[in-house]
Amino acid sequence: MSIARQEPIIRFEHASFGFPGVIALQDISLTIHAGEFVGVIGPNGSGKTTLCRAVLGLMAPLEGHLHIFDCACEELRCHHRAKIGYLPQKGVVDRNFPVTVLETVMMGRYGALGLFRRPGIKDREIAMDALAHVAMDGHKDTALGHLSGGQQQRVFIARALAQQPKVLLLDEPTTGLDITTQHNVIELVQHLHEELNLTVLLITHDINMIRSRVDRLVLLKTKLYAAAPPAEVLKPEILREVYGKDLVITEKDLVIVEDYHHHH
Amino acid sequence: MVDLFTYDFMQRSLLAAAMVGGLCSVIGVFVVLRGLAFVGAGTSHAAFAGVALGYLVGWPPLFLAIVFGLATVWTTGWVEEKGRMKLDVSIGILYTTTMALAILFIGLMKSYNAEVYGYLFGSVLSVTSEELQIIAGLSILVLGLLLLFSKELYFIAFDQEMAEASGVPARGIFFLLLTLVALTVVVSLKTVGAILVFAMILIPASTAYQLTHSLKTLTLYSMAIGVATAVGGVVISAVCDLPSGPAIVLLATALFFCAVFLSPKRMNRSSPAHSH
Repeated sequence: MSIARQEPIIRFEHASFGFPGVIALQDISLTIHAGEFVGVIGPNGSGKTTLCRAVLGLMAPLEGHLHIFDCACEELRCHHRAKIGYLPQKGVVDRNFPVTVLETVMMGRYGALGLFRRPGIKDREIAMDALAHVAMDGHKDTALGHLSGGQQQRVFIARALAQQPKVLLLDEPTTGLDITTQHNVIELVQHLHEELNLTVLLITHDINMIRSRVDRLVLLKTKLYAAAPPAEVLKPEILREVYGKDLVITEKDLVIVEDYHHHH
Repeated sequence: MVDLFTYDFMQRSLLAAAMVGGLCSVIGVFVVLRGLAFVGAGTSHAAFAGVALGYLVGWPPLFLAIVFGLATVWTTGWVEEKGRMKLDVSIGILYTTTMALAILFIGLMKSYNAEVYGYLFGSVLSVTSEELQIIAGLSILVLGLLLLFSKELYFIAFDQEMAEASGVPARGIFFLLLTLVALTVVVSLKTVGAILVFAMILIPASTAYQLTHSLKTLTLYSMAIGVATAVGGVVISAVCDLPSGPAIVLLATALFFCAVFLSPKRMNRSSPAHSH
């Protein structure tokens, strides 16, 4: 697809994020267009999760601007943020929380419903539809804690879909899953991207898993090192600059980052 | 024994126990799920300091209990939000400080005041009609607000950041929850006392937690257990001539351990989750 003709959805303009004295992201200028599948990569502590929190409206820029859906307002609680479906990093929520699959997905409707309104039949239909998209509609009354890691991830993706989002933001969706399940989750994301024409922003450590699927890779290490199609980003000279000695590139062109598992 | 229930005081205390038991157990669901258990304990001691000050200076004790309770929960919430300190540390400091204040205020009183100790240990059998009206009014207010904001309260208990990101005013809802905890504690002070109210909040919800995986069922179970143990405790205390507060709490605790041993969750733990 021609990215240039698509409307800009997320636009960073010389934006810096962090806390006074600790800059997590510095001088980021980046535009994500509607319908793009973008992978965000970078070493541990490179600001990937900060980027995620910024897009979600959980952090304001210290400097520069961040426009969501080309909305110029600097209001963090801008209603446009509700169009972003979010899958948090594993471990952020208690997966043994006493909640059923359908109850979990219904939470995706709460932001759109607003205060004082109860979810109705239509919200339930949207939630069931979201569950059908991730092939979990047969488990609606199952306890979340009884599901496998991969199934839980599908339920959380369904919760994001229940928001009827334009953008799907996924923070390390494959962490802690076995290889087959990792592939299934990424395939599901790609399928949703194509079927629902969702803009996808996927934060990951696993460059090889997504390199053939994404339109662009965003390479971060506090600063933005690259934002281009994978073939242009995955060059040894660029990667070495960011990952340093931790990087191994195999003969088959696989990129391996040695401290891959150490950050949690 | 049937004669006992024809007395006005007995009817009042059963009604008070049912309301306080129901209220504490419903707010307890959110307290347990959001991990605020210790906040309940801290608030009740702060509220007791308010009562002691009220008796010392001649102001309405329940009014000052609300002021002290709210000041404590709001400070705790603010400290947690700013990330300056862990929640258990800040509440631990406030907990002991307010208890020190309570002891100081009691020490400054010129004579022994039995009523103050009534708020510490609770005396459901001596609840007056006026107090019953206050309990009913505050219970309706707290339960009404819980019902009105239940979907947001469940969401922030599950994942506050996610709730915030999906457009729910999570911060406001969190402070609402803290406020409701403080009000619940104050409502319950006279009946179960500052020390045992914490158990009324914590135990029914924790018991229900053992029995279900659904949020709605959890809330209903917790409320049923809360009302049943509070009323049951009062009946036991009247029949066996025991103090009411301990009777309620010990009955609830016995039920909790039964639930732990019979928990379907515990049974399920032996069979691993199926995976795709």
